[in-house]
Order: sequence, then C-alpha cells, then structure tokens
Amino acid sequence: MSQVEQNPLLEGLGLRRRPEPCTLVIFGASGDLTSRKLMPALYSLAYHHLLPERFAIVGAARSEETDDEFRARMKAAVQAHARDPFDQKVWDKLAAGMHYTSLEFDDETGEDNLSRHLANIDEEHGTNGNRVYYFAVPPSAIAMLITALGERRSAQGWVRLIIEKPFGRDLASARELNALIGEHFSENEVFRIDHYLGKETVQNMLALRFANGIFEPIWNRQFIDHVQITVAESLGIEGRAGFYEQAGAMRDIFQNHLLQLVAITAMEPPIDFTADSVRNEKVKVLKAIHTPGPKSVVRGQYGRGFVEGDEVLGYREEDGVARDSTTETYVAAKLYVDNWRWADTPFYVRMGKRLARRETTIAIQFKRAPHPPFEEVAAESLRPNVLLIHVQPNEGISLAIGAKVPGLGMAIRNVNMDFLYGSGFREGVPEAYERLILDSMLGDATLFTRSDEIEEQWALVDAMAAPWQRDHPAFPNYAAGTWGPPSGDELIHRDGRSWRRH
Amino acid sequence: MASALTDTWNGEDTTVAEIERELARLRRSAVEGDATNMRTSVMTHCVWVPPEWLEPAKDTLSGMGERHPSRTILLVPKPGEPNGLDAEVSVRCFDAGERHICSEVIELGLRGNRTLAPASIVLPLLISDVPVFCRWRGEPAFGEPAWGQLVGVVDRLIVNTSEWETLRFGELAESFDLTAVSDLAWANLHAWRIALARCWPAIREQEIHIRGPLAEATLLHGWLVSRLDRPVAAIKPADELSVQLGGEQLAAPDREPLSASDLLSAELDRLDRDRVYEQAVRAA
Repeated sequence: MSQVEQNPLLEGLGLRRRPEPCTLVIFGASGDLTSRKLMPALYSLAYHHLLPERFAIVGAARSEETDDEFRARMKAAVQAHARDPFDQKVWDKLAAGMHYTSLEFDDETGEDNLSRHLANIDEEHGTNGNRVYYFAVPPSAIAMLITALGERRSAQGWVRLIIEKPFGRDLASARELNALIGEHFSENEVFRIDHYLGKETVQNMLALRFANGIFEPIWNRQFIDHVQITVAESLGIEGRAGFYEQAGAMRDIFQNHLLQLVAITAMEPPIDFTADSVRNEKVKVLKAIHTPGPKSVVRGQYGRGFVEGDEVLGYREEDGVARDSTTETYVAAKLYVDNWRWADTPFYVRMGKRLARRETTIAIQFKRAPHPPFEEVAAESLRPNVLLIHVQPNEGISLAIGAKVPGLGMAIRNVNMDFLYGSGFREGVPEAYERLILDSMLGDATLFTRSDEIEEQWALVDAMAAPWQRDHPAFPNYAAGTWGPPSGDELIHRDGRSWRRH
Repeated sequence: MASALTDTWNGEDTTVAEIERELARLRRSAVEGDATNMRTSVMTHCVWVPPEWLEPAKDTLSGMGERHPSRTILLVPKPGEPNGLDAEVSVRCFDAGERHICSEVIELGLRGNRTLAPASIVLPLLISDVPVFCRWRGEPAFGEPAWGQLVGVVDRLIVNTSEWETLRFGELAESFDLTAVSDLAWANLHAWRIALARCWPAIREQEIHIRGPLAEATLLHGWLVSRLDRPVAAIKPADELSVQLGGEQLAAPDREPLSASDLLSAELDRLDRDRVYEQAVRAA
C-alpha cells in the first residue's frame, strides 16, 4: 500500500520520499572533497528538508581533531561552498549530529573504536544501525576499510557503500576490488560514484532523447554523421601530482566520465528508469565499443603556455611531477559502437587538462541535406545541423540550423536555437553530489556504476593503453591554453571532418 | 542575475498591430549589443489587474523576470474611461554570463469598451505553443465577459482567495473543468498541510478546531473534510491561523512565510490540475 493510500492527507503535497534514519560515515573527512563538495551538498539537503529526521555524520580521517574542531571546519566549508544561503538554524540541526573520529585505516583497534562509536550514535540519535559509508580515500585504503567493515558488519540495519573513483587502476585491480566487496556486501549495497551522472544536464540527455518524439527516430546512423564529445579543463593538476602521475587523463577522465557520456548518448531506450534497466542498456553500449587501433588514439602532454592571459608551467614543471614523465594530460580517440544503431558512425572524443577553456559538450552532427536546391554559393555555406548538449558550464542545449539571410539573394547562414537551463527554469540546479548522496540513502542506484559496467570500462582502457607501454612519446606536444596536439586534429581531419569550433 | 538592459515604448490610443511592431523593434535593438541576447519563451503570463491592484501587482512582478523569463501582459481595465487602448511595452534583459536573457512586459490600459473583449486583445499577443498563465488580481468578475473570455484562453488561472471579500467558491468551482486553477491562499497552507499530515493516523478520529483568516481557514477546513471524509467543526475567525487537535494546540509550522513573488513563482511552474485543491474548494 502506498504512503498516500495509507495517509490521504499526503496527496498532492509533492513531498519527496525521505530516507530512513541513518548515520553517514565519511572516510577521508580531512580531504578536499569533503569540504568542497560533500559537506556543502549535505547542508543543501538539510536546507531543503531532504535529510532523514534522525541523521548523524561521522567524519573519519587520520588527523587528530575534536568534534568541535570538525564542526567548525565544516561550517567554514559550508559558508564558502554551499549553493544555498547559510541559515544558522539549519546548520545547528545538522551540526548537532556531527562527530569526528581519528582513524588509522589499517589499525584494527581504530576500527573497533569506530564500531563502538557508531553503536553509541545509534542510541543517541536513533539511527537504527543504518549506515552509509562514503569512501573519499585513495584506492589503496579502500580495500582495507572494506575488509574491516565487512568483518564487523552488524545484523541490525542496512549498509550502503559509496565508493569514489578511481575504482581500481586497471581491469585486474577493479575485478579484485569487486570480488573483495562481494565477499562482504551485495551489489545492491554498493554505489560506485561518478559525479557526472549526478549532473542535471547528463540526466537531461535521457529526457531529451526519450521524452521528445522528434529526436529518437533520427538518433542513429541513418541521420547522424558523427558524434563529438569534449571534456576540456583549463586547469592543470592543481597540486594532485601524486594522483595524476599514476592516473593520467585516461584513468582520470576517459575511463569514467567520458565513457559514461558515450554510453548515455548511444544507449537504447530502457524499458523503465530503474537502476537495472538503465544500467543494462549502458553495459550493452560499453560491450559494443570496438577497441580502437593505435592510429585512432592520440595522447598528449601540455608544455608551457598561456591560459586566460596567465603564463602557466608545463606538466613536467609542476611540483611532484617527474621531469621525464610520460603521463598523458590529453587523450583523443575515435570510437565505434558496433551495433545496429551506430555501425560506422564515429564517436570522436577528446579530453584534457590545460586546454583553451573549460567545457564539457556532446555534439551530435547530423548528415548534410542530401540535395540542397540552392545556387552554388548558397549551397557552399550550408552546414550540417548540430545538436549540442552543454554539460558544463552554461548547461543547456542548442540546435544549429541553416536560415536564409534576409535580402534579395539566397544566402544561408547557420543560426543557433538555444535553451539555457538558467533561462528556462526557476529552480536552482542542484549539485551532482546532492542528488547522488540522497539517492544512495534511498537505495536508488540508477545513477551509479554497476560492477560489470566498471569492468567493461577498464577492459577498454587497458586495451587502448597497452601499446603506450612500448612507446616513448615526444612530450610535451601541446602548449597549455590550446586545443591539444596537432595529432589530435589529424585524427579527425583524416576523415574529412574537424573538431567543433569553440 | 542583474538587470542589464531595459528599453521601453509608450503608446496612447494604439492598436495591437502597433504594439507587435514596437515589440519586434525593441527586441531587435536589444540584440545589437556585444553579448548574445536570448528571448526565452517559457510562457505568456497575463495579469488582470484593476487599477487599485496595480502597485502591489508590479511589486510582485519586479524581479520575477529573472526567475520566469516570459512575456508578461498586464491588463488594466478602466471601464469608466473613453474607449481606447494604451500600451507601455518594455524589453528587459538580464545578465547571464556571456548572454542576456530577455523578457517582455506589455502593460495595456483597456479603456471603455476595450474591457468587454480582452481575449481578442490578448490572443494576438500570446507566444505560440507555450502555456498561458493568468493571475487574476482581486475578486473575480464571475459572469462578466472578461472573466469568461480569459478563463477560456488560459491554461492556468491563479487567484488569491485571501484578496476576496466574499468567498464565492461555488462560482470558482465552475471554472475547474475549463482550466487549471491555483490559489495563493491555498499555496500558503502547504506547510500547515504537511504538519497535519504528520498527525496521521491520530487525526483520523480527533476533534479538530480551526481558527484563522476566512480564506485560509475555510480552505483548510474543506481540505480536512474532503480528505478525512468526515465532518469537522465550523471555523472561527481570527487574524492568525491555528489548529487544535484533540484539545491540543498544534505547533505552527516552523517556516518563514513565502513572499508574494515566491508564491506566484511556484504556481507558474505548475501545469497540472490540483485535484486536492478542487475537492477542498467543493467541500468548503
């Protein structure tokens, strides 16, 4: 029986289902992610009355800190980064359930202490043994924590594990981690986070495709010439040399965000919007991606250059980076999704750091009009239609169409029909982490990555990166502040196409 | 978003054709700057606003252009004046990063016989294919041509029964099958309804006493009667809304009251019929 059938007064109130009482444990509470993203997201959920009535937060990290110091640090983080105005009453209620515990992740005594601490919190806050564990820690610490938590798992309440990327560093390690998790937890308790899936515009791609009758009939090889996906950052590695030297653009962006964008663009309509239906369709796309040969993959590394007028260092000059590092900061590739819908339709993808501007876009370029009945001059200026999905910044959609330039002749120019999120809807766009944390508390895994999805992603990445171990690339090969190495342009020019002009 | 550009045209004894022409001219001049200006077509928002309601209506609308970039048509009836149509047309653009978002405001003075057929003036000015909302300020002129015509044109009618001296719910209910209806007095009760819903299941059997301003108290009473499907004691007038359940005073919801702009804004996001409201009105 639904809530409304039980309580007729609820009908029409439009209340979102609230999660059951629970404790959220954040491993890595001293890190940047916690202060910049997680705590502001939790504050916004509290501000909009979306957290459970009985709710506690436990910050866990190696550093020593009292509960009060943790609260003060988190308050400053919320004031600096939250999207909603600071409300003392909302904060006081959230802070009342906030605790901190110092923990060495490989220390058995520390784990026992945490278990006792959580049991006390259950009594104090009435959280019924329900736990959400957020792993905002390096991959090396995740396995230890999973084992420790699994061994101390209580029969009371439910458990959900939110695991940050990168999930493993290759197929073998991802499988190993999946197997370890599987020893103690079931798949529906695991929420592998890729915050791109929490973004409104990524979800809007599903709305655009499956809520509009006009697009789906032409969303295939018959009408689409090719797809371009760009995930460009103008920032460098921002002091994360330790991580980035190991990961590179391939593991940092391609393996997760970029492949998710490809999957959402190419997937078949799911039968419903449940976690398994959506993820089944995404996995089918990942399985269908043909491994590109070496000529279809380009990597690059930035040298010195100018970004927004400032001179910036080359990658090898950044603190903590080896002077002869061969880590890639740019990847471009031509992918094919080998199925009935997409056969022979290239997906050109590129991603990198220190590119000319920050921009994530999906461009669907349609085929040219087959026989434009205009004079030669007019026909030459005809451009194919492009449907552009702006994921960030300036979230929205635009469609480029040809229109007649007013006058006596028949000149044709391309014009854009734009929809900007900020211009169409009054609601502020929630941060991806708000949506994802709330969904995990509610047990909805639709926007999280399943184990087989992760393994398919790694299988592709391993195959693409394998030839690199034998190469000695001539890095750096692009200047910071440009659109990547010339070989990235050649990749697409070879096919008589070019990257979108920005 | 900050207001960036406002361009205005005034016309006395004008025509709809002239208004359309000037609107197009203002829109063109707005796109001549450096930034790209976008006219956003989310809805047409009509406001039927008798002169005595004009100032509060403008206060509510100020700032709403940023939240609801749309075409707003203010219809100011002046039946006692000589026949004619006056207009003030403005295009307002707001900064949005590299672009400006533009909305349009058309204030129409309907003089004399122009008040008799407002739909014929509004229809040519509607943006095609997007919803039309109409906020009717003050007490509706039930049975008069203006009311009947506008109800027939709009997708959603927004009233505020707190502005009415007499609650003519029976006549309002006759519009429910013609257009979706919102009531800002009802929207104001949202937090109270949540508080009462949380009293389930005890509230099923409890004695309920409601005191408060006429419109709010009557709507809350009608809602409880229709949802609980049982009689509830008659309301008593008071300045502040309060509810007693089983002899105990229910704590007032701990929420800041929404501003008139926020209340209206929320209703402009709704497109569906509010069946729960309709049942509450019919039971009131």
